[in-house]
Amino acid sequence: MTHKDEILARLRRRAIPDCPMPDVCLEAITYPDKVKQFTETLRLVGGDAVELTPGDDPNRLLRELYPDARVIASNLPGVTIATVNPDDLADPRDLDGVHLAVVAGDFGVAENGAVWITHNTKERALYFIPDYLAILLHRADIVNNMHEAYGRARVSAGFGVFISGPSKTADIEQSLVIGAHGAKGLTVIIL
Amino acid sequence: MKDNYPKAAARFLRDAERAKWHDDTLWMVRQKRDANARSIPEWEQLRHLASQIKTHTLLRLDHYLEQFADSAAANGITVHWAADAVEHNRLVLEILQSAGVKKLVKSKSMLAEECHLNPYLQAAGIEVVESDLGERILQLAGQPPSHIVMPAIHLTRQAVGKLFEEKLHTDPGNSDPTYLTRAARRHLRQHFLTADAAMTGANFCVADSGDVVVCTNEGNADMGVALAPLHVVSAGIEKVIPDAGALAVYTRLLARSATGQPVTAYTTHHRAPRPGCQMHVILVDNGRTDTLANPEHAQTLKCLRCGACMNTCPAYRHAGGYAYSYLIPGPIGMQLGMSRDPRAHAGDIPACSLCYSCNDACPAKVDLADQTYRWRQQLDSMHLASAPKKLISRVLRLLFTSPKLYENVLRLAPLVNRLPRFLVYNRLNAWGRDREMPPFAGESFTRAWKRGKVKASREKSK
Repeated sequence: MTHKDEILARLRRRAIPDCPMPDVCLEAITYPDKVKQFTETLRLVGGDAVELTPGDDPNRLLRELYPDARVIASNLPGVTIATVNPDDLADPRDLDGVHLAVVAGDFGVAENGAVWITHNTKERALYFIPDYLAILLHRADIVNNMHEAYGRARVSAGFGVFISGPSKTADIEQSLVIGAHGAKGLTVIIL
Repeated sequence: MKDNYPKAAARFLRDAERAKWHDDTLWMVRQKRDANARSIPEWEQLRHLASQIKTHTLLRLDHYLEQFADSAAANGITVHWAADAVEHNRLVLEILQSAGVKKLVKSKSMLAEECHLNPYLQAAGIEVVESDLGERILQLAGQPPSHIVMPAIHLTRQAVGKLFEEKLHTDPGNSDPTYLTRAARRHLRQHFLTADAAMTGANFCVADSGDVVVCTNEGNADMGVALAPLHVVSAGIEKVIPDAGALAVYTRLLARSATGQPVTAYTTHHRAPRPGCQMHVILVDNGRTDTLANPEHAQTLKCLRCGACMNTCPAYRHAGGYAYSYLIPGPIGMQLGMSRDPRAHAGDIPACSLCYSCNDACPAKVDLADQTYRWRQQLDSMHLASAPKKLISRVLRLLFTSPKLYENVLRLAPLVNRLPRFLVYNRLNAWGRDREMPPFAGESFTRAWKRGKVKASREKSK
């Protein structure tokens, strides 16, 4: 017998009484103003959300928010302040040293400030390696909770991630430090 | 091993200030968990669902495991099965060696700890770098974790500062957490950029899609996987859940229960290897099928490894993680240790006060306190019960089953109040250690009642 068959055979000696798969259908929390809830929650987890005023240029806003960013990576056509197209790089390690990455979010989640991002760039390292991350998100694309979120989350090219705020740790005396290995700051630009 | 707990706890309590800090800090995490739970009106419904889905999945684990393995394989992931720790470690080494790996970056995996993977790989000449900050601190210090989510909670910032000063050449005397975290970021960034392979655990393996879901706050698992050409996942077989609908329930509960955050900073779905790269998943039994076959302890496998039971446990908060004999401490660690080797870990079982707080905090409703109670019932038949406690039980049984004797003894009890101190407070009386005994009342309640001396409180207040 292979290890697989052995393990499966052992699993068939069931000990706990039968229990059918429950219907995951519950009245989960909803919010009257999803944009407001999303913004407040994101601030609570160390990130920020900024609403772009109609007619304003996201490039202007990004420049204002990140005046010191010199190496800016983005493959989005509208992001003219980008200095690097990450898809042109041969190796994901070449992304080390990027100050700011600007990426598109699929949708946001009001209950926890997370944004679902799928693989829409050559290397997923783009979401983790830069000093700062800016995510463009349409205001209509904010759902209430994770049940709605998983009803909608599509994985593309074998990858998808919920990012809720910047990278953080509290491993030294439970003292919160923003910026462990991933982004040291995160802004969602709400379009 | 048997009497290790009180001794190890006493060692931890020697630094009273630090012990108080430990207690207060974990209680603060527990309070954050409470505040988060209360912000979700359907919290209890979620816990109920979490428990039911896990129970259902564990009962059909053969089906869901095969489904997961098939989905993952169809996505281009190589799936391996390991019956035990030895087999697991051998598989990891084979995968790494066949890819010519010299340096492995690891994100936190309690399963790798369980299998003692690091020393095994290091002995074979592979450089292993822990990338979670807490785990890296412990790796540099040569210590095991004392909590599953906050592994270095027992260390002061000064101790970390000193360690980094020596190992990472940080400024002498600087123990500012932000400064030290930045130093670790730079140090580990270099390891991420030069690693040949990344290893992660799995928080969830989704059967119908084949997704491996990894939750971190630091982004260390993601950094490793996004840069190295090889990704190895170690997952206990109990990590499999049916589908994304179930995942929604667990991602809502996990971080709120663990640290009082609405969700972890990163909830990453790894469905396929990066182009031109390899991804392997090792599904590990290592005693889990035995636990599942034991009706009294099978529920242990519902655990999400959030650590909420530790944060809420008064014994854990006061005694620290090192008091426990198994590598995972606290209420869940007691169950995991006992299901592995009762002889080695029975010494922890009496530490529980059966307050049942762990049962209430557990997001998957694992019956932790009930299991501890059941182990206690079994200690004697396993010849693991403590002799003095057995004697006390026998005497109390005699006393409580003979009303006349009980009454007479009680009548004599007030004499204890007048005994010289050394006769009451000595090493035979554990209850007299670190606390003053309450004096015996001059008269028992029963006698006072019979003599009409007991008045209802309302009458008394008139």
